[in-house]
Amino acid sequence: MPPADPVIIAEGISRRFAYRPVLVDVSLTLETGEALLLVGPNGAGKTTLLRVLAGLLYPSTGHVDRRVPLGMVAHDAMLYPALTARENLRFFARLHGVNGTRVETLLELVGLMHRADDRVGTFSRGMLQRIAIARALLHEPRLLLFDEPLSGLDPAATRTLVQLLTDLRQRGTAMIIVSHQLEQLRGVGTHIARLARGRLGPKDPLAGRDPVAVFTELMREDG
Amino acid sequence: MRALLRAAWHIAVKDVAIEWRTKTAFASGLVFAVLVLAVLFFSRDPTAVASSDIAPGALWVTFTFAAMLGLNRAFLLERELHGLDGILLTPAPRAAIFWGKFAANLVFVGAIEAISLPLFVVFYDVPIWVRFGELVLVIAMATVAFVAVGTLLSAMAVRTRYAELMLPLLLLPFLVPPLVGGVQLTARLLEGRPLSDLSGWLKLIAAFDLAFVSLSATLFHVVVDE
Repeated sequence: MPPADPVIIAEGISRRFAYRPVLVDVSLTLETGEALLLVGPNGAGKTTLLRVLAGLLYPSTGHVDRRVPLGMVAHDAMLYPALTARENLRFFARLHGVNGTRVETLLELVGLMHRADDRVGTFSRGMLQRIAIARALLHEPRLLLFDEPLSGLDPAATRTLVQLLTDLRQRGTAMIIVSHQLEQLRGVGTHIARLARGRLGPKDPLAGRDPVAVFTELMREDG
Repeated sequence: MRALLRAAWHIAVKDVAIEWRTKTAFASGLVFAVLVLAVLFFSRDPTAVASSDIAPGALWVTFTFAAMLGLNRAFLLERELHGLDGILLTPAPRAAIFWGKFAANLVFVGAIEAISLPLFVVFYDVPIWVRFGELVLVIAMATVAFVAVGTLLSAMAVRTRYAELMLPLLLLPFLVPPLVGGVQLTARLLEGRPLSDLSGWLKLIAAFDLAFVSLSATLFHVVVDE
């Protein structure tokens, strides 16, 4: 039976770099309100998969059907170090056709209003991550792709972000979260899937189970 | 079309604002321009070669290499925190990135040319005022050609490990036609000949403007999409 309200459908995605296959026949459908925790060892192809889903990389074969606007937080903040936090957000807001009020709201949300007029080149890794999150939320996307969103965040910022992700998911935003910090994402994810050697395992509903325990179970099954 | 122009405008304003704040490429371009003008001036034998004989070549060598520093900068500033990916995730048309970068590069190169030109007069004592309007037109036309192709090639070069080295290697072969046209027209204008006598060279530069701008705009999305 086809999914009720898919926000993104990827079918038969493969991606090679030179002759090395990084993604092999990956198919994935995500519905409104689903939060998929994507786990796997380093070099499994998680970042490549997110970039293909976001449209930043073409798949070598296969097709991605993006049905809603998406936002992405990657390893790099996708910002300009010579511009201030506010200037960066205003620039991207203009490209999204979003007004300046949203910028102020998001600066407040990520707790960086007091540094809004400082150049992001002077920011710590955690502060960059928070501005990157604000950038990704500017146009209120219905699909969010996160690549290690908690890296570099202090405990307070981590709690704020986890709460934000939970709220967004409850309001119907779908998300794919690549993270090794599963214990901090308890309550956020609705599904978990493992990517290993470019192949995506089944999307397993968490249904209240602890993602750390499910991940351990997946690892054991893989031997 | 309006969305494209609006996005291109925002990208150009952002690039100019970053350069205005950092001044890294502008300062190095300007210092480079002064050095080239001076080195070429003092390298000739004044008893055998009049400064006016080498002036057109000196002017265009200065413009070309100083501009190259700026063209390199256009995409290097996107590399630091991958700002370009942020733009690609917005609904802004891919073509807007080319037109925005192209406009910002024109501002940058134009500023270096505007400051180099008086220095050129000081060093080479050439009568640029006789045909000033025509000279500015020729400079503008040749600049459009090499900035267009330079914008495209800098987007390609920035993806390589040695971006600063790659751009001149890729760009210089394309610069030969507009550069030769620019030198020939400048030499004749400095001799006081009217532009109406030089329509052949002018048409050549106009043809390269058209070809380079349209090809670069068309091919740009291929470069940024992977």
